[in-house]
Amino acid sequence: MAVVLPAVVEQLLSEMAAAVQESAQIPDEYLLSLKFLFGSSATQALDLVDRQSITLISSPSGRRVYQVLGSSGKTYTCLASCHYCSCPAFAFSVLRKSDSILCKHLLAVYLSQVMRTCQQLSVSDKQLTDILLMEKKQEP
Amino acid sequence: MAETLKRVLSRGGAAWSREENTPAAGPPLLLLGAPGSGKTTLLFAAALEAAGEGQGPVLFLTRRPFQSLPRGTGTALDPMRLQKIRFQYPSSTRELFWLLCSAHEAPGPAPSLLLLDGLEEYLAEDPEPQKAAYLTALLLDTAAHFSHRLGLGRDCGLMVALQTQEADSGDILHLSLLRRYFPAQCWLQPDAPGPGEHGLRACLEPGGLGPRTEWWVTFRSDGEMMIAPWPTQTGDPSSGKGSSSAGQL
Repeated sequence: MAVVLPAVVEQLLSEMAAAVQESAQIPDEYLLSLKFLFGSSATQALDLVDRQSITLISSPSGRRVYQVLGSSGKTYTCLASCHYCSCPAFAFSVLRKSDSILCKHLLAVYLSQVMRTCQQLSVSDKQLTDILLMEKKQEP
Repeated sequence: MAETLKRVLSRGGAAWSREENTPAAGPPLLLLGAPGSGKTTLLFAAALEAAGEGQGPVLFLTRRPFQSLPRGTGTALDPMRLQKIRFQYPSSTRELFWLLCSAHEAPGPAPSLLLLDGLEEYLAEDPEPQKAAYLTALLLDTAAHFSHRLGLGRDCGLMVALQTQEADSGDILHLSLLRRYFPAQCWLQPDAPGPGEHGLRACLEPGGLGPRTEWWVTFRSDGEMMIAPWPTQTGDPSSGKGSSSAGQL
């Protein structure tokens, strides 16, 4: 990953991944850490994971992109390789004000990676190009 | 990319000797400087460096074709290396977006280095921050995809040049955004080690992987770039082409 999360977040996620392998759900202590680090975004992100709102879209080329169905019904595109989300909260709280490390959608993506639970969708290389381009055309 | 640039600057343009082992590209790097500060020359030097490493082709993106190739940093251009640099000329932000979004469809071997000159021109077309963030993120995502295709623990480096204008406060918004995505930065600023001298100070911040390193950059009358380690506190500048990068700090 080119852009790294703060070390404490990286460590938490990798510890969670190890713990989940054993018990198939997140132990309480990690849930508490998540809440401490991310506040209300943690609960919202976990909710997104529970509702299977994250889809990993991949093409034969191996390139991947995530889409998250937000609570408003709108779909947001996330690039996990470099921490980008198309939602307004990311643009405002993370990029502009540096209030937050991640938005709830990106956090949901990382949690779904840890818990190995997300929808998978295979598309053609051309379709993946269109999905990535669509993001550019969307109104903010 | 920071490591590749560091090798270029440390060698100060001396003979392009092969590295003994597989050099890593380092984290994505943002190269900043005012017009005429040598960003394109350095980008091109980094392209030649990576092309000589035998890792794969180099992809050089710039808005307009070169009228003439940059003079380089002190050695003759090696045609074998030049052949490995693929130039593409996205003439608008829209074209650049398309190029990056469709990079996974491009046939042929994945590049080992992705370079973009003149990011400021592409950002200026649509100054909206979310678009700027998406363009930047796509650059990183494209390099990450190339890394994935290279496989075997190899990385595709990323180096992007951004022209800065001190008086333009509009740049500041994008700058903080860009610094979030580019852990490593190299600043080219007018400076000189002593009175009566001129040139630029190249200051490389490798993004947490090591200390800041500095070089003194000047240009000969024919446009060729001369690089030397920034003088130590004794005020004794190294002459000509510096070959050692030992301890600037």
